[in-house]
Amino acid sequence: MIRLLGLETEYGITVEGRDAGDLLVESMELVRAYPGPHAKPWDYHPEDPRRDARGYQVRHLTRSPDDDNYRQQDAKAPPVRDQRSDRVLANGARLYNDHGHPEYATPECASVLDLVAHDRAGERILLDCVAERERQTGKRVRLYKNNSDHFGVSYGTHENYLSLREVPFEALLAGLLPFLVTRQIYAGAGKIGVEQDGASTNIFQLSQRADFFTEVASVDTLHRRPIFNTRDEPHADPARFRRLHVICGDANPSEFATALKVGATAMALALVEEGWSPGLEIREPVRTIKDLSRDQTHRWMLETMQGAKTSAVEVQRLYLAEAHRRYQGRDPETDWLLMAWDTVLRDLEEDVFRLVDRLDWVAKLHLLEEFRESESLAWDDPMMLSLDLEYASIDRQEGLYWGLVDAGQMRQVVGSKTVADAAADPPKDTRAALRGLCVRRFPESIASVCWSRLWLRNGDGEHLLDLSPLAEGVPPRLLEEVSRARSVSDLLQQVQQGARRAETPVAEASGMEE
Amino acid sequence: MHATALKGMNLERERMPLPADPVRRGPGDEGPKDPGVRRPNTKDLLERMRRVDPEQAKRYRQRSGE
Repeated sequence: MIRLLGLETEYGITVEGRDAGDLLVESMELVRAYPGPHAKPWDYHPEDPRRDARGYQVRHLTRSPDDDNYRQQDAKAPPVRDQRSDRVLANGARLYNDHGHPEYATPECASVLDLVAHDRAGERILLDCVAERERQTGKRVRLYKNNSDHFGVSYGTHENYLSLREVPFEALLAGLLPFLVTRQIYAGAGKIGVEQDGASTNIFQLSQRADFFTEVASVDTLHRRPIFNTRDEPHADPARFRRLHVICGDANPSEFATALKVGATAMALALVEEGWSPGLEIREPVRTIKDLSRDQTHRWMLETMQGAKTSAVEVQRLYLAEAHRRYQGRDPETDWLLMAWDTVLRDLEEDVFRLVDRLDWVAKLHLLEEFRESESLAWDDPMMLSLDLEYASIDRQEGLYWGLVDAGQMRQVVGSKTVADAAADPPKDTRAALRGLCVRRFPESIASVCWSRLWLRNGDGEHLLDLSPLAEGVPPRLLEEVSRARSVSDLLQQVQQGARRAETPVAEASGMEE
Repeated sequence: MHATALKGMNLERERMPLPADPVRRGPGDEGPKDPGVRRPNTKDLLERMRRVDPEQAKRYRQRSGE
Protein backbone atom coordinates (compact mmCIF):
# COMPACT_ATOMS: atom_id res chain seq x y z
CA MET A 1 0.00 0.00 0.00
CA ILE A 2 1.04 3.60 -0.36
CA ARG A 3 1.35 5.46 2.91
CA LEU A 4 -0.80 8.59 2.96
CA LEU A 5 1.01 11.40 4.77
CA GLY A 6 -0.25 14.78 5.95
CA LEU A 7 0.84 17.76 8.01
CA GLU A 8 -1.36 20.23 9.86
CA THR A 9 0.15 23.50 11.08
CA GLU A 10 -1.53 25.99 13.37
CA TYR A 11 0.25 29.29 12.80
CA GLY A 12 0.91 31.91 15.45
CA ILE A 13 -0.67 35.24 14.47
CA THR A 14 -0.35 38.88 15.44
CA VAL A 15 -2.48 41.73 14.12
CA GLU A 16 -1.58 45.35 14.62
CA GLY A 17 -3.66 46.88 17.40
CA ARG A 18 -5.25 43.56 18.43
CA ASP A 19 -4.63 41.33 21.44
CA ALA A 20 -5.01 37.59 22.04
CA GLY A 21 -8.71 37.96 22.83
CA ASP A 22 -9.31 39.22 19.29
CA LEU A 23 -7.53 36.34 17.57
CA LEU A 24 -10.58 34.09 17.15
CA VAL A 25 -12.11 36.69 14.88
CA GLU A 26 -8.87 37.91 13.30
CA SER A 27 -7.84 34.38 12.37
CA MET A 28 -11.31 33.77 10.93
CA GLU A 29 -11.12 36.90 8.81
CA LEU A 30 -7.63 35.98 7.60
CA VAL A 31 -8.84 32.59 6.36
CA ARG A 32 -11.84 34.22 4.69
CA ALA A 33 -9.49 36.57 2.87
CA TYR A 34 -8.04 33.65 0.87
CA PRO A 35 -8.25 34.93 -2.71
CA GLY A 36 -7.88 31.65 -4.63
CA PRO A 37 -10.41 29.05 -5.80
CA HIS A 38 -11.99 27.06 -3.00
CA ALA A 39 -15.06 25.12 -1.91
CA LYS A 40 -17.11 24.94 1.30
CA PRO A 41 -18.63 23.96 3.66
CA TRP A 42 -16.62 21.29 5.46
CA ASP A 43 -18.56 18.09 6.11
CA TYR A 44 -18.18 17.39 9.83
CA HIS A 45 -20.55 14.43 9.91
CA PRO A 46 -17.98 11.61 9.56
CA GLU A 47 -15.74 13.09 12.29
CA ASP A 48 -15.69 12.54 16.03
CA PRO A 49 -12.46 13.48 17.83
CA ARG A 50 -13.78 11.85 21.03
CA ARG A 51 -13.31 8.32 19.67
CA ASP A 52 -10.34 6.68 21.37
CA ALA A 53 -8.20 4.07 19.63
CA ARG A 54 -8.28 2.03 22.83
CA GLY A 55 -11.87 1.12 22.00
CA TYR A 56 -14.10 3.65 23.71
CA GLN A 57 -15.43 7.18 23.36
CA VAL A 58 -14.90 9.92 25.92
CA ARG A 59 -17.82 12.15 26.88
CA HIS A 60 -15.94 15.33 26.19
CA LEU A 61 -12.44 16.53 25.44
CA THR A 62 -10.54 18.48 28.08
CA ARG A 63 -10.68 22.24 27.51
CA SER A 64 -7.76 24.55 28.10
CA PRO A 65 -8.19 26.65 31.28
CA ASP A 66 -6.54 29.43 29.28
CA ASP A 67 -9.86 29.87 27.44
CA ASP A 68 -11.45 31.15 30.66
CA ASN A 69 -9.36 34.31 30.30
CA TYR A 70 -11.24 35.20 27.12
CA ARG A 71 -14.78 34.20 28.04
CA GLN A 72 -16.26 37.67 27.52
CA GLN A 73 -14.62 38.23 24.12
CA ASP A 74 -15.42 34.70 22.95
CA ALA A 75 -19.10 35.22 23.79
CA LYS A 76 -19.24 37.95 21.15
CA ALA A 77 -17.61 35.80 18.44
CA PRO A 78 -19.68 34.07 15.74
CA PRO A 79 -20.82 30.43 16.23
CA VAL A 80 -18.01 27.86 16.05
CA ARG A 81 -18.80 26.65 12.50
CA ASP A 82 -18.70 30.24 11.25
CA GLN A 83 -15.51 30.91 13.15
CA ARG A 84 -13.83 27.94 11.52
CA SER A 85 -14.60 29.17 8.03
CA ASP A 86 -13.29 26.01 6.39
CA ARG A 87 -12.01 26.30 2.85
CA VAL A 88 -10.98 23.36 0.71
CA LEU A 89 -8.49 24.51 -1.88
CA ALA A 90 -7.80 23.49 -5.46
CA ASN A 91 -4.63 21.69 -4.33
CA GLY A 92 -6.75 19.46 -2.09
CA ALA A 93 -5.67 21.16 1.15
CA ARG A 94 -7.87 22.42 3.98
CA LEU A 95 -7.53 25.96 5.31
CA TYR A 96 -9.43 27.03 8.43
CA ASN A 97 -9.38 28.83 11.72
CA ASP A 98 -8.57 26.49 14.57
CA HIS A 99 -9.24 28.26 17.84
CA GLY A 100 -7.57 31.53 16.96
CA HIS A 101 -4.89 30.09 14.68
CA PRO A 102 -5.01 29.94 10.90
CA GLU A 103 -4.40 26.28 10.16
CA TYR A 104 -3.19 24.78 6.90
CA ALA A 105 -3.64 21.03 6.51
CA THR A 106 -1.80 19.66 3.50
CA PRO A 107 -3.54 17.39 1.02
CA GLU A 108 -2.74 13.72 1.42
CA CYS A 109 0.69 12.98 -0.06
CA ALA A 110 2.26 9.65 -0.94
CA SER A 111 5.88 10.80 -0.71
CA VAL A 112 7.86 12.74 1.86
CA LEU A 113 9.17 15.24 -0.70
CA ASP A 114 5.65 15.93 -1.96
CA LEU A 115 4.65 16.56 1.63
CA VAL A 116 7.51 19.00 2.21
CA ALA A 117 6.48 20.88 -0.95
CA HIS A 118 2.85 21.05 0.18
CA ASP A 119 3.82 22.14 3.68
CA ARG A 120 5.87 24.95 2.17
CA ALA A 121 2.98 25.73 -0.21
CA GLY A 122 0.83 26.34 2.86
CA GLU A 123 3.11 29.22 3.82
CA ARG A 124 2.67 30.80 0.38
CA ILE A 125 -1.09 30.42 0.58
CA LEU A 126 -1.20 32.02 4.00
CA LEU A 127 0.97 34.89 2.80
CA ASP A 128 -1.62 35.45 0.06
CA CYS A 129 -4.24 35.67 2.82
CA VAL A 130 -2.06 38.13 4.75
CA ALA A 131 -1.62 40.38 1.70
CA GLU A 132 -5.36 40.42 1.05
CA ARG A 133 -6.28 41.01 4.70
CA GLU A 134 -3.76 43.86 5.01
CA ARG A 135 -5.21 45.39 1.86
CA GLN A 136 -8.71 45.18 3.38
CA THR A 137 -7.83 46.63 6.78
CA GLY A 138 -4.56 48.54 6.45
CA LYS A 139 -3.34 46.72 9.57
CA ARG A 140 -0.14 44.70 9.66
CA VAL A 141 -0.57 40.92 10.06
CA ARG A 142 2.29 38.58 10.92
CA LEU A 143 2.31 34.78 10.95
CA TYR A 144 4.73 32.48 12.75
CA LYS A 145 5.49 28.81 12.12
CA ASN A 146 6.08 27.91 15.78
CA ASN A 147 4.31 26.23 18.68
CA SER A 148 4.42 28.47 21.73
CA ASP A 149 4.14 32.09 22.80
CA HIS A 150 6.78 31.79 25.56
CA PHE A 151 4.05 32.49 28.14
CA GLY A 152 2.88 28.91 28.62
CA VAL A 153 0.47 28.74 25.68
CA SER A 154 0.98 26.14 22.96
CA TYR A 155 -0.59 25.30 19.61
CA GLY A 156 0.08 22.33 17.42
CA THR A 157 1.77 20.96 14.37
CA HIS A 158 0.34 17.51 13.78
CA GLU A 159 1.51 14.73 11.49
CA ASN A 160 -0.76 12.09 9.98
CA TYR A 161 0.22 8.64 8.78
CA LEU A 162 -2.26 6.15 7.35
CA SER A 163 -1.76 2.95 9.28
CA LEU A 164 -3.11 -0.58 9.34
CA ARG A 165 -6.00 -1.32 11.70
CA GLU A 166 -4.83 -4.91 12.14
CA VAL A 167 -1.82 -3.77 14.19
CA PRO A 168 -2.88 -3.81 17.86
CA PHE A 169 -2.90 -0.40 19.54
CA GLU A 170 -0.64 -1.69 22.33
CA ALA A 171 1.99 -2.70 19.76
CA LEU A 172 1.87 0.74 18.14
CA LEU A 173 2.27 2.50 21.46
CA ALA A 174 5.08 0.26 22.72
CA GLY A 175 6.87 0.27 19.38
CA LEU A 176 6.71 3.98 18.69
CA LEU A 177 6.95 5.64 22.11
CA PRO A 178 10.78 5.39 22.41
CA PHE A 179 11.04 6.79 18.89
CA LEU A 180 8.70 9.72 19.54
CA VAL A 181 10.38 10.64 22.83
CA THR A 182 13.84 10.74 21.25
CA ARG A 183 13.34 12.08 17.70
CA GLN A 184 13.38 15.69 18.98
CA ILE A 185 17.20 15.55 18.80
CA TYR A 186 16.78 16.25 15.06
CA ALA A 187 13.13 17.29 14.79
CA GLY A 188 13.08 19.98 17.49
CA ALA A 189 12.70 23.59 16.39
CA GLY A 190 14.51 24.98 19.46
CA LYS A 191 13.27 27.43 22.08
CA ILE A 192 14.64 29.77 24.70
CA GLY A 193 13.34 28.99 28.15
CA VAL A 194 11.04 26.59 29.95
CA GLU A 195 7.30 27.30 30.11
CA GLN A 196 6.17 24.73 32.68
CA ASP A 197 7.59 23.14 35.83
CA GLY A 198 9.04 26.45 37.09
CA ALA A 199 9.34 28.83 34.17
CA SER A 200 12.79 30.04 33.23
CA THR A 201 14.39 31.84 30.31
CA ASN A 202 17.96 30.83 31.03
CA ILE A 203 18.31 27.77 28.85
CA PHE A 204 17.90 26.88 25.21
CA GLN A 205 16.00 23.64 24.71
CA LEU A 206 15.54 21.39 21.70
CA SER A 207 11.77 21.32 21.49
CA GLN A 208 9.05 23.93 21.40
CA ARG A 209 6.45 21.40 22.53
CA ALA A 210 8.13 19.14 25.12
CA ASP A 211 7.11 21.42 28.01
CA PHE A 212 3.44 20.81 27.29
CA PHE A 213 3.09 17.03 27.59
CA THR A 214 1.70 15.63 30.80
CA GLU A 215 0.38 12.22 29.70
CA VAL A 216 1.85 9.23 27.90
CA ALA A 217 -1.29 8.46 25.88
CA SER A 218 -4.70 10.11 25.64
CA VAL A 219 -7.32 11.34 23.21
CA ASP A 220 -6.94 14.98 24.31
CA THR A 221 -5.08 17.63 22.34
CA LEU A 222 -6.12 20.96 23.92
CA HIS A 223 -5.02 20.37 27.51
CA ARG A 224 -3.28 17.56 29.42
CA ARG A 225 -1.64 16.76 26.10
CA PRO A 226 -0.19 13.28 25.53
CA ILE A 227 3.01 12.19 23.79
CA PHE A 228 0.94 9.55 21.96
CA ASN A 229 -2.45 10.79 20.80
CA THR A 230 -5.13 8.10 20.72
CA ARG A 231 -7.71 9.90 18.57
CA ASP A 232 -9.36 7.34 16.31
CA GLU A 233 -10.41 9.16 13.15
CA PRO A 234 -8.99 7.27 10.17
CA HIS A 235 -10.65 9.41 7.45
CA ALA A 236 -10.66 6.11 5.52
CA ASP A 237 -12.27 2.69 5.86
CA PRO A 238 -12.21 2.19 9.66
CA ALA A 239 -12.24 -1.58 9.29
CA ARG A 240 -8.88 -1.49 7.50
CA PHE A 241 -7.13 1.66 8.63
CA ARG A 242 -6.06 3.79 11.51
CA ARG A 243 -4.58 7.26 11.25
CA LEU A 244 -1.52 7.73 13.41
CA HIS A 245 -2.04 11.31 14.63
CA VAL A 246 1.28 12.55 16.00
CA ILE A 247 0.89 15.71 18.08
CA CYS A 248 4.24 15.79 19.89
CA GLY A 249 6.24 17.34 17.05
CA ASP A 250 7.36 20.91 16.42
CA ALA A 251 6.68 23.14 13.44
CA ASN A 252 9.85 23.03 11.37
CA PRO A 253 10.76 25.95 9.11
CA SER A 254 13.64 23.75 7.88
CA GLU A 255 12.64 21.60 4.92
CA PHE A 256 15.36 19.10 5.75
CA ALA A 257 14.09 18.70 9.33
CA THR A 258 10.51 18.29 8.10
CA ALA A 259 11.58 15.63 5.60
CA LEU A 260 13.65 13.69 8.13
CA LYS A 261 10.99 13.95 10.86
CA VAL A 262 8.24 12.58 8.64
CA GLY A 263 10.40 10.13 6.71
CA ALA A 264 11.91 8.54 9.81
CA THR A 265 8.53 8.38 11.56
CA ALA A 266 6.93 6.69 8.55
CA MET A 267 9.71 4.10 8.54
CA ALA A 268 9.44 3.53 12.32
CA LEU A 269 5.70 3.00 11.85
CA ALA A 270 6.31 0.53 9.02
CA LEU A 271 8.69 -1.46 11.21
CA VAL A 272 6.10 -1.73 13.97
CA GLU A 273 3.39 -2.67 11.47
CA GLU A 274 5.64 -5.51 10.31
CA GLY A 275 5.87 -6.80 13.86
CA TRP A 276 9.28 -5.41 14.80
CA SER A 277 9.84 -4.04 18.29
CA PRO A 278 12.74 -1.87 19.55
CA GLY A 279 13.05 -4.13 22.60
CA LEU A 280 13.26 -1.33 25.10
CA GLU A 281 10.89 0.73 27.18
CA ILE A 282 11.80 4.20 28.40
CA ARG A 283 11.37 4.85 32.12
CA GLU A 284 9.08 7.82 32.79
CA PRO A 285 8.58 8.94 29.19
CA VAL A 286 6.83 12.22 30.13
CA ARG A 287 9.72 13.29 32.32
CA THR A 288 12.26 11.99 29.80
CA ILE A 289 10.86 13.94 26.83
CA LYS A 290 11.31 17.13 28.86
CA ASP A 291 14.73 16.15 30.26
CA LEU A 292 16.08 15.38 26.79
CA SER A 293 14.78 18.67 25.44
CA ARG A 294 16.42 20.64 28.26
CA ASP A 295 19.72 18.73 28.40
CA GLN A 296 22.43 21.35 28.01
CA THR A 297 25.18 18.73 27.69
CA HIS A 298 23.75 17.43 24.41
CA ARG A 299 24.52 13.88 25.50
CA TRP A 300 20.78 13.11 25.83
CA MET A 301 21.10 10.18 28.21
CA LEU A 302 18.01 8.32 29.38
CA GLU A 303 17.08 5.32 31.46
CA THR A 304 15.19 2.25 30.30
CA MET A 305 12.65 0.28 32.34
CA GLN A 306 15.26 -2.46 32.50
CA GLY A 307 17.52 -0.04 34.39
CA ALA A 308 20.04 0.45 31.60
CA LYS A 309 21.42 3.86 30.60
CA THR A 310 21.46 4.71 26.94
CA SER A 311 21.26 7.82 24.78
CA ALA A 312 18.56 9.26 22.52
CA VAL A 313 20.99 8.83 19.62
CA GLU A 314 21.36 5.12 20.40
CA VAL A 315 17.59 4.68 20.60
CA GLN A 316 17.27 6.31 17.18
CA ARG A 317 20.03 4.06 15.87
CA LEU A 318 17.99 0.98 16.83
CA TYR A 319 15.21 2.11 14.51
CA LEU A 320 17.60 3.28 11.79
CA ALA A 321 19.53 0.01 11.73
CA GLU A 322 16.40 -2.07 11.26
CA ALA A 323 14.94 0.35 8.71
CA HIS A 324 18.22 0.27 6.81
CA ARG A 325 18.20 -3.53 6.80
CA ARG A 326 14.63 -3.75 5.51
CA TYR A 327 14.11 -0.72 3.31
CA GLN A 328 17.41 0.23 1.67
CA GLY A 329 17.05 0.08 -2.09
CA ARG A 330 13.25 0.37 -2.00
CA ASP A 331 13.28 3.70 -3.87
CA PRO A 332 15.53 6.79 -4.18
CA GLU A 333 13.60 8.80 -1.60
CA THR A 334 13.93 6.05 1.02
CA ASP A 335 17.65 5.73 0.31
CA TRP A 336 18.08 9.49 0.71
CA LEU A 337 16.14 9.48 4.00
CA LEU A 338 18.18 6.58 5.38
CA MET A 339 21.41 8.34 4.50
CA ALA A 340 20.18 11.65 5.91
CA TRP A 341 19.08 9.94 9.16
CA ASP A 342 22.46 8.21 9.53
CA THR A 343 24.45 11.37 8.79
CA VAL A 344 22.44 13.41 11.26
CA LEU A 345 22.87 10.90 14.11
CA ARG A 346 26.60 10.76 13.47
CA ASP A 347 26.86 14.55 13.46
CA LEU A 348 24.78 14.85 16.63
CA GLU A 349 27.33 12.67 18.40
CA GLU A 350 30.47 14.22 16.92
CA ASP A 351 29.67 17.95 16.50
CA VAL A 352 26.11 19.23 16.53
CA PHE A 353 27.12 22.44 14.76
CA ARG A 354 27.81 20.53 11.58
CA LEU A 355 24.02 20.44 11.38
CA VAL A 356 23.68 24.22 11.39
CA ASP A 357 22.40 24.18 7.80
CA ARG A 358 19.83 21.42 8.31
CA LEU A 359 18.24 21.33 11.76
CA ASP A 360 16.15 24.17 13.13
CA TRP A 361 17.30 23.93 16.74
CA VAL A 362 20.96 24.00 15.74
CA ALA A 363 20.53 26.86 13.25
CA LYS A 364 18.57 28.91 15.78
CA LEU A 365 20.98 28.18 18.66
CA HIS A 366 23.96 29.18 16.56
CA LEU A 367 22.33 32.36 15.34
CA LEU A 368 21.21 33.39 18.82
CA GLU A 369 24.50 32.46 20.48
CA GLU A 370 26.56 34.49 18.03
CA PHE A 371 24.29 37.49 18.48
CA ARG A 372 24.22 37.12 22.26
CA GLU A 373 27.98 36.93 22.56
CA SER A 374 28.53 39.84 20.22
CA GLU A 375 26.04 42.04 22.01
CA SER A 376 26.89 40.77 25.52
CA LEU A 377 23.29 39.88 26.17
CA ALA A 378 21.89 37.44 28.71
CA TRP A 379 19.68 34.62 27.49
CA ASP A 380 16.76 36.26 29.29
CA ASP A 381 17.21 39.60 27.52
CA PRO A 382 13.91 40.50 25.80
CA MET A 383 15.79 40.83 22.50
CA MET A 384 16.73 37.14 22.62
CA LEU A 385 13.12 36.03 22.93
CA SER A 386 12.19 38.40 20.12
CA LEU A 387 14.86 36.88 17.87
CA ASP A 388 13.62 33.39 18.80
CA LEU A 389 10.14 34.46 17.67
CA GLU A 390 11.45 36.09 14.51
CA TYR A 391 13.15 32.87 13.43
CA ALA A 392 9.65 31.47 12.89
CA SER A 393 8.20 34.41 10.94
CA ILE A 394 7.11 33.25 7.49
CA ASP A 395 7.65 36.73 6.06
CA ARG A 396 10.39 36.26 3.49
CA GLN A 397 11.82 39.76 4.08
CA GLU A 398 11.77 39.62 7.90
CA GLY A 399 11.93 36.04 9.12
CA LEU A 400 15.34 34.93 10.37
CA TYR A 401 14.96 31.43 8.95
CA TRP A 402 14.43 33.06 5.57
CA GLY A 403 17.42 35.28 6.25
CA LEU A 404 19.50 32.13 6.63
CA VAL A 405 18.05 30.74 3.39
CA ASP A 406 18.82 33.98 1.54
CA ALA A 407 22.35 33.89 2.94
CA GLY A 408 22.76 30.38 1.54
CA GLN A 409 22.93 28.91 5.03
CA MET A 410 20.00 26.48 5.06
CA ARG A 411 19.77 23.38 2.96
CA GLN A 412 16.50 23.14 1.05
CA VAL A 413 15.12 19.92 -0.36
CA VAL A 414 12.40 21.09 -2.74
CA GLY A 415 12.73 23.75 -5.41
CA SER A 416 10.68 26.94 -5.55
CA LYS A 417 8.87 25.89 -8.76
CA THR A 418 7.80 22.66 -7.06
CA VAL A 419 6.43 24.65 -4.14
CA ALA A 420 4.57 27.03 -6.46
CA ASP A 421 3.04 24.05 -8.26
CA ALA A 422 2.00 22.51 -4.93
CA ALA A 423 0.19 25.74 -3.99
CA ALA A 424 -1.97 25.33 -7.10
CA ASP A 425 -2.27 21.61 -7.77
CA PRO A 426 -2.86 18.47 -5.67
CA PRO A 427 -0.54 15.45 -5.60
CA LYS A 428 -1.40 13.34 -8.65
CA ASP A 429 -1.17 9.97 -6.94
CA THR A 430 -3.56 10.31 -4.00
CA ARG A 431 -7.29 10.87 -3.54
CA ALA A 432 -6.51 14.58 -3.04
CA ALA A 433 -6.24 14.72 -6.85
CA LEU A 434 -9.99 14.05 -7.18
CA ARG A 435 -10.88 16.49 -4.42
CA GLY A 436 -8.73 19.22 -5.95
CA LEU A 437 -10.13 18.57 -9.41
CA CYS A 438 -13.69 19.01 -8.13
CA VAL A 439 -12.76 22.24 -6.35
CA ARG A 440 -11.09 23.68 -9.44
CA ARG A 441 -13.68 22.58 -12.00
CA PHE A 442 -17.00 22.48 -10.16
CA PRO A 443 -16.79 24.56 -6.94
CA GLU A 444 -20.42 25.68 -7.18
CA SER A 445 -21.58 22.05 -7.38
CA ILE A 446 -19.93 20.99 -4.12
CA ALA A 447 -22.57 20.68 -1.42
CA SER A 448 -19.99 19.69 1.21
CA VAL A 449 -16.51 18.21 1.35
CA CYS A 450 -14.14 16.56 3.80
CA TRP A 451 -11.12 14.23 3.66
CA SER A 452 -13.06 11.07 2.87
CA ARG A 453 -15.93 12.25 0.64
CA LEU A 454 -17.70 14.95 -1.36
CA TRP A 455 -21.36 15.55 -1.90
CA LEU A 456 -21.89 16.86 -5.44
CA ARG A 457 -25.00 18.51 -6.85
CA ASN A 458 -26.30 18.07 -10.34
CA GLY A 459 -29.75 18.48 -11.86
CA ASP A 460 -31.24 15.46 -10.12
CA GLY A 461 -30.01 15.87 -6.55
CA GLU A 462 -26.92 15.33 -4.48
CA HIS A 463 -24.52 12.47 -5.06
CA LEU A 464 -21.86 10.95 -2.86
CA LEU A 465 -18.32 10.76 -4.14
CA ASP A 466 -16.71 8.49 -1.56
CA LEU A 467 -12.93 8.90 -1.50
CA SER A 468 -12.36 6.27 1.21
CA PRO A 469 -11.77 3.41 -1.24
CA LEU A 470 -9.03 5.51 -2.85
CA ALA A 471 -6.95 5.73 0.32
CA GLU A 472 -4.43 3.40 -1.28
CA GLY A 473 -4.08 5.43 -4.46
CA VAL A 474 -5.92 6.73 -7.52
CA PRO A 475 -5.58 4.71 -10.74
CA PRO A 476 -3.89 7.04 -13.30
CA ARG A 477 -6.43 6.06 -15.96
CA LEU A 478 -9.32 7.08 -13.70
CA LEU A 479 -7.77 10.44 -13.04
CA GLU A 480 -7.10 11.02 -16.72
CA GLU A 481 -10.71 10.22 -17.63
CA VAL A 482 -12.21 12.26 -14.82
CA SER A 483 -10.06 15.27 -15.69
CA ARG A 484 -11.85 15.40 -19.08
CA ALA A 485 -15.32 15.54 -17.49
CA ARG A 486 -17.39 18.48 -18.70
CA SER A 487 -20.02 18.37 -15.96
CA VAL A 488 -20.64 16.88 -12.55
CA SER A 489 -22.85 14.20 -14.13
CA ASP A 490 -20.07 13.40 -16.56
CA LEU A 491 -17.55 13.21 -13.70
CA LEU A 492 -19.76 10.92 -11.63
CA GLN A 493 -20.30 8.67 -14.63
CA GLN A 494 -16.56 8.46 -15.27
CA VAL A 495 -15.89 7.63 -11.64
CA GLN A 496 -18.57 4.93 -11.61
CA GLN A 497 -17.10 3.36 -14.75
CA GLY A 498 -13.61 3.52 -13.30
CA ALA A 499 -14.85 2.03 -10.04
CA ARG A 500 -16.55 -0.85 -11.86
CA ARG A 501 -13.28 -1.60 -13.63
CA ALA A 502 -11.45 -1.63 -10.32
CA GLU A 503 -14.39 -3.11 -8.40
CA THR A 504 -14.11 -0.12 -6.08
CA PRO A 505 -17.40 1.58 -5.17
CA VAL A 506 -16.62 5.30 -4.93
CA ALA A 507 -19.66 7.01 -6.47
CA GLU A 508 -23.32 6.40 -5.94
CA ALA A 509 -26.53 8.34 -6.36
CA SER A 510 -28.10 9.02 -3.02
CA GLY A 511 -30.14 11.52 -1.10
CA MET A 512 -28.04 13.48 1.35
CA GLU A 513 -29.52 12.39 4.62
CA GLU A 514 -26.83 13.28 7.18
CA MET B 1 20.22 49.38 20.94
CA HIS B 2 21.79 46.19 19.64
CA ALA B 3 23.41 48.10 16.79
CA THR B 4 26.95 46.93 17.43
CA ALA B 5 28.58 45.18 14.51
CA LEU B 6 28.58 41.42 14.99
CA LYS B 7 32.27 40.67 14.96
CA GLY B 8 33.14 37.04 14.69
CA MET B 9 29.76 36.00 13.33
CA ASN B 10 30.81 32.67 11.94
CA LEU B 11 27.95 31.09 10.12
CA GLU B 12 30.19 29.03 7.89
CA ARG B 13 31.27 25.83 9.53
CA GLU B 14 33.15 22.87 8.32
CA ARG B 15 30.75 20.78 6.32
CA MET B 16 30.69 17.03 6.16
CA PRO B 17 29.59 15.32 2.97
CA LEU B 18 25.83 15.52 2.83
CA PRO B 19 23.35 12.94 1.61
CA ALA B 20 22.81 13.05 -2.12
CA ASP B 21 20.44 15.70 -3.41
CA PRO B 22 16.83 14.45 -3.10
CA VAL B 23 15.30 17.28 -5.08
CA ARG B 24 12.98 16.48 -7.93
CA ARG B 25 13.22 19.20 -10.50
CA GLY B 26 10.48 20.05 -12.91
CA PRO B 27 10.85 22.22 -16.01
CA GLY B 28 11.85 25.73 -14.96
CA ASP B 29 12.56 24.70 -11.39
CA GLU B 30 15.61 26.44 -10.08
CA GLY B 31 16.24 23.54 -7.70
CA PRO B 32 17.80 23.58 -4.28
CA LYS B 33 19.97 26.29 -2.86
CA ASP B 34 23.13 24.52 -1.87
CA PRO B 35 24.83 26.43 0.96
CA GLY B 36 28.19 25.86 -0.65
CA VAL B 37 27.30 27.27 -4.05
CA ARG B 38 27.41 30.98 -3.37
CA ARG B 39 29.09 33.21 -0.87
CA PRO B 40 26.85 33.65 2.15
CA ASN B 41 25.57 37.17 2.62
CA THR B 42 25.64 37.38 6.40
CA LYS B 43 25.65 41.19 6.34
CA ASP B 44 22.03 41.20 5.25
CA LEU B 45 21.21 38.67 7.95
CA LEU B 46 22.76 40.84 10.65
CA GLU B 47 20.83 43.84 9.41
CA ARG B 48 17.69 41.76 9.54
CA MET B 49 18.42 40.76 13.16
CA ARG B 50 19.08 44.33 14.18
CA ARG B 51 15.73 45.41 12.76
CA VAL B 52 13.85 43.01 15.05
CA ASP B 53 11.75 44.85 17.63
CA PRO B 54 13.28 43.86 21.01
CA GLU B 55 9.87 44.15 22.65
CA GLN B 56 7.88 42.03 20.20
CA ALA B 57 8.12 38.83 22.23
CA LYS B 58 6.64 40.61 25.26
CA ARG B 59 3.55 41.45 23.24
CA TYR B 60 3.27 38.04 21.57
CA ARG B 61 0.32 36.35 23.25
CA GLN B 62 -1.59 33.53 21.60
CA ARG B 63 -4.72 31.49 22.18
CA SER B 64 -4.16 27.96 23.33
CA GLY B 65 -4.49 25.56 20.41
CA GLU B 66 -4.22 21.86 19.84
